Amino acid sequence: MEILKYTLRKLAGGIPLLLGVTLVSFVLMVYFGPDKTWELLSKNPTAEEIAQVRSQLGYDQPFWVRYGNYLRELATLEFGYSDSTGERVTTILQRTVPVTLALLAPGFVLGIVLGIALGLLAAWHRGGWIDRAVTGLAVVGMSVSFLVVIIAFQLLFGVVLGWFPVRGWNVHDLPSYLHYVTVPTLASVFVALGYNTRFFRAVLVEEMARDHVRTARAFGASPVEILRKNVLMNAMIPIVTRTMFSIPLVVISGSLLIESYFGIPGVGKVTYDAITSGDQPVLKAVIGLTAVMFVGILIVNDILYKFFDPRISLGRTALQ
Amino acid sequence: MSNNDALLEVENLCVEFGDRRGAVRAVDRISFEVEPGRTLGIVGESGCGKSTTSLAIMGLLPRPAGRITAGAIRLSGTELAGLPENRMRRIRGAEMSMIFQEPMTALNPVYTIGAQMSAVVRRHAGLSRRAARRRALEMLERVGIPLAQRRLAEYPHELSGGMRQRVMIAMALSCRPRLLIADEPTTALDVTTQAQVLEQIKALQRDFDTAVVLITHDLGVVAETCDEVVVMYCGRMVERAPVEALFSAPRHRYTEGLIQAIPKIRTRRLTRLPVVPGSVPDLSELPPGCCFAARCAHADTHCLRRQPALERMGPSRVACFHPADAEPVR
Amino acid sequence: MSLPVHDINPGADARLQPVRRPGGISPWSRAFDRLIGDRPAMAGLAIVTVFFVIALGVWFGWWGGKWAETGDGQWLPPSPEHWLGTTILGQDIFARAIFSTRTAFEIGLVVAAASTLLGALFGALSGYFAHTAIDGLVLWLKGVLDSIPFYLFVAAIAFALDGNPWAMHIAMIATFWTTTARLVRGEVIKLKSLEFVEAARAIGLHPLVILFRHIVPNTLHILLVQATIVFVAAIKSEVILSFLGLGVQDGVSWGLMIAESTSEVIAGHYMNFIAASGFLFALVMGFNLFADGLQDALDPKRSGR
Ligand SMILES: Nc1ncnc2c1ncn2[C@@H]1O[C@H](COP(=O)(O)OP(=O)(O)OP(=O)(O)O)[C@@H](O)[C@H]1O
Ligand SMILES: [Mg+2]
Repeated sequence: MEILKYTLRKLAGGIPLLLGVTLVSFVLMVYFGPDKTWELLSKNPTAEEIAQVRSQLGYDQPFWVRYGNYLRELATLEFGYSDSTGERVTTILQRTVPVTLALLAPGFVLGIVLGIALGLLAAWHRGGWIDRAVTGLAVVGMSVSFLVVIIAFQLLFGVVLGWFPVRGWNVHDLPSYLHYVTVPTLASVFVALGYNTRFFRAVLVEEMARDHVRTARAFGASPVEILRKNVLMNAMIPIVTRTMFSIPLVVISGSLLIESYFGIPGVGKVTYDAITSGDQPVLKAVIGLTAVMFVGILIVNDILYKFFDPRISLGRTALQ
Repeated sequence: MSNNDALLEVENLCVEFGDRRGAVRAVDRISFEVEPGRTLGIVGESGCGKSTTSLAIMGLLPRPAGRITAGAIRLSGTELAGLPENRMRRIRGAEMSMIFQEPMTALNPVYTIGAQMSAVVRRHAGLSRRAARRRALEMLERVGIPLAQRRLAEYPHELSGGMRQRVMIAMALSCRPRLLIADEPTTALDVTTQAQVLEQIKALQRDFDTAVVLITHDLGVVAETCDEVVVMYCGRMVERAPVEALFSAPRHRYTEGLIQAIPKIRTRRLTRLPVVPGSVPDLSELPPGCCFAARCAHADTHCLRRQPALERMGPSRVACFHPADAEPVR
Repeated sequence: MSLPVHDINPGADARLQPVRRPGGISPWSRAFDRLIGDRPAMAGLAIVTVFFVIALGVWFGWWGGKWAETGDGQWLPPSPEHWLGTTILGQDIFARAIFSTRTAFEIGLVVAAASTLLGALFGALSGYFAHTAIDGLVLWLKGVLDSIPFYLFVAAIAFALDGNPWAMHIAMIATFWTTTARLVRGEVIKLKSLEFVEAARAIGLHPLVILFRHIVPNTLHILLVQATIVFVAAIKSEVILSFLGLGVQDGVSWGLMIAESTSEVIAGHYMNFIAASGFLFALVMGFNLFADGLQDALDPKRSGR
C-alpha cells in the first residue's frame, strides 16, 4: 500500500519532466519541423487550396492546440503514416521493436555482467598489475569509436573470416538467431565494456574501502562472502542505476548504428531511414516514445532503490 | 619476558607502511602480554600507532601498504604473524574479536542486525539458523538492549550510535572469544552511553574470562578499567606499567606530562588525551635519538643522539634517559 | 622540575596535529607535481600536443591544403607521393586525414568551450540558489535534455534548423553542458557555506559578484576536467553523426572519411578507414589518458590506488 503511494508520488513527480521532454520534441520536430504543405499540393495551387491543406495538416491551429494534439498522439500511440512508405507508424513500431530487443539484449546483458566482473577483478587487486592491465585496456576500449568497431568486426567476422553473415536478419530459430546476433553482440560488448568496467571499478573500490568491510573481515568472513554481502549488495544502487539508464542509450544509439550498418530491420534502421529521408511522423514517434521511456525508467529506478537500500524511506526521494 | 599464563604475547612487533619511495615504521618494537580476564590499556596521541598495533594482531593491516616486518604475536602459543589467511579467518571473530571506533559505519547497512549477528555465530560455532538466532537474541539481551527481539529485525540505521556499539560488542562476544580488542570503543559516543558501554564490556569480560586490549584517549577509563598500561609515542613504547604505578609514579616524562595535565577536580570525564605542548614529529622524519626529546624539558644532547632502551624501574618499564623520580641512568 | 602543561579544556579536540611542512604548498602546484609524475598522462599530453601542432599547421596552411585536389590515380596504394594512398577520386588520403585534424579540433574546442561555459553558468546559478525556483528550472531543463537520446536530439535540431551546418555543434553544446552543471552545482553548494563566502556576504557584496568572482573560480578544477571529457565526446560524436549524415556538412572530417569507407572496405579498399580511425583513436586515446591523469591529480582519492 505504502509502495503504491510512493509509486504514485514518483509518477506525479515525473509529469513536469514528461511535459518538458514532449514540449522540446514537439517544438523541434513539429513546430519548427519541415513544412509539408507543398508536398501535398498540385503544381499551381490556389490560395484556397493552400489554406485547405494547411488546415488539414493543422498548421493553422495555435501552438498550444498543436502541442495538445501531439500529446494526444503520444498517449494514444497514433502517429499517423510514414512519409516514405505510407505504412502506419504504430504498425512499423510493433514490427520492429521486438527485433531490436532480440538483437540488443544479449550484448546489453553481457556488457553489464562482464563490466561488473572486470571491475570487481580490478578493484580486488587494486594498485596491482591486474588492476593496471584492466584499467589500461578499458581506456583503450573507450578510445575506439563504436562505428569503427562495427565496421572492423563486420569486416573481420563477415568478410575476412566469413563465419557470420554480413547483413540482414533472417531469424526463425535459435541457431539462426545466434548466427545473426553474434557479431552485433560482440561489437556492442566491446564498446560498452571499457566504460562499464571503469565505472564499476570505481564504485566497487569505494565500497571495498567501507568500514563494514573491515568489520566483516574482523569477524572471519570469507572473501566470497564479503564480495557478495558487503561489496556487491551495497553497490546495487549504482549498478542498478547504471543498468537502467543504459537502456535508452543502447536501444536508440546502439540500434541506430548496428541496425543501419548490418541492415537489420529494427527500430534503429527505421529511425536511421527516417533521419536520412526526413520522415517526420516516424521521427517524432521515436523521439517522443524514447523520452517517455526515459522518464519511465527514472521512476522505476527510484522505486527499485527502495528494494536495495533499507535506508531509503518511502517518504524521501532517492534522487539527489 | 615470556609469560606462560599469558593469552596474548606481543614481542618486538614492528609494522611498516610503505610505497615505492620509502617506508614509515608506524609501530616500532612493541611488546606486551595479556592474561585471561585482564585488561591492557594502550594510550597515546593520535597517529602513534595504536590502531595499527591492533590491526596487526588481528591480521587486518591494509594490504599491500602495511606489513609486519619483525616480531611475534602469539595467541595461546600460536604464532599469528604470517599465519595463512584461511587459518586467520577461523580465529577472527571466534578466538579474538575486535570492536572499532566508529559504530555508525561499522555495520553493513543493507542487512538486519539479526542477519549480521547470526552470520557470525553460524560461521564459527556451526549453529543452525534457529540456534544462531537464539544466540544473537541472548547476546543482545546481555548487552542490555531493550526490545531485543524487535531489534533483530531492524537495520543498523534504525539504531542509535550507542545501540550500534552495543550490537558490535554483542557480536564480538557472541562466539566467546578469549581476546577482545576494543579500539576506542566509546570515543564516538556521548558521556553517559560511554559509561554504560564500558560497563557492558567489563561485565562480559568477567563472565567469559576474556582478555581485553583497550585502546583509549581517556585516562579516566584507563584508571577505572585497566590492569596494565602501555604508553605509545611515535610508534614506540615509552612506558609500560601496572595501572596504579602509572598514575602514582609515572616514569617517562611524556607520561608524567599526561598525568599532571589531568585536572585535579574531575567534573567531566576526559574524552581526549590531555595536552602536552609541542607537536609530534613526522613518522617519516623521526629524529635519531629519543623521539620525545624535542618536547621534553629534561632532554640533553645525549637524548637527541641516542634512543633510550626499555629499562625496568620498580614495577614499571620505561624508555627514558632521565625518568621522573630517579637518579639519571648514566 | 616538571614539564610545562597547558590548561586543559576537555571539550576541545586536544589531539596534536602532526607537524606541517614549512611553506604552504597550493593544491594546484601539488596537483601539477602529481600530473608531471603520471607517465600515462604525460604520454597522453604528448599525443594531444602533436595533434594540436598538426591542426595549427593546417590553419596556417603549412600542410594538408591539398586534401580536396583530385588526381588521376584512384585507389593508389601507399607510396612516397601518397603516404596512405589515394581515394576513388585520386585524393591523397594522408592529406585528408591531416586536414581532418583541424576539423576535429575546431569541433572539440568550440563544443568544449561553449558547453563548459554554459555548464558553469547554469551550475553556479542553480547551486547558489539551490532549492529555489531558479534551481528548479535549471534542474528541470537538465532533466529534459538528459531524457532525449543524443542522436535523435541532433536529428531533431538538424530538422528544426533545416540543414544549418552548426546544427551538430548546437546540439552537442545543448546536451553536454548538463553533466558539468551537475558537478558545478554540487561544488558550489559545498563552497557557499565556507568562511570566505560568509565573509564576502558580510561585507555586503552582491550575490552575483560573490558567485562569479569568488565561488566559480574555485570550481576551475571541475571545469578543466569536464572540458577535456567533453572534447573527447565531441570528436567521437562527430564520427557517428557524420555517418548518419548529421555531422560535418562541408570540408572533410574523420567521420566523413569513415562514412565514405563503409562502402569501400567490402571491396577491399581499407586505407580511408585505417587512416581516419587510426588518427581518431590516437587523439581520443591521448585525451583520455590526459583527462584521467588530470582527474587523479586534482582528486587523488579518486583512483583508489
Ligand atoms: N594505510 C596506511 N598507509 C600509510 N600509513 C598509514 C596507514 N595507516 C596508518 N598509517 C600511519 O601509521 C601511523 C599510526 O596510525 P594509527 O592509525 O595506528 O594511529 P592511532 O594511534 O590509532 O591514532 P588515532 O588515535 O588517531 O586512532 C600514522 O602516522 C599513520 O599516518
Ligand atoms: Mg586509531
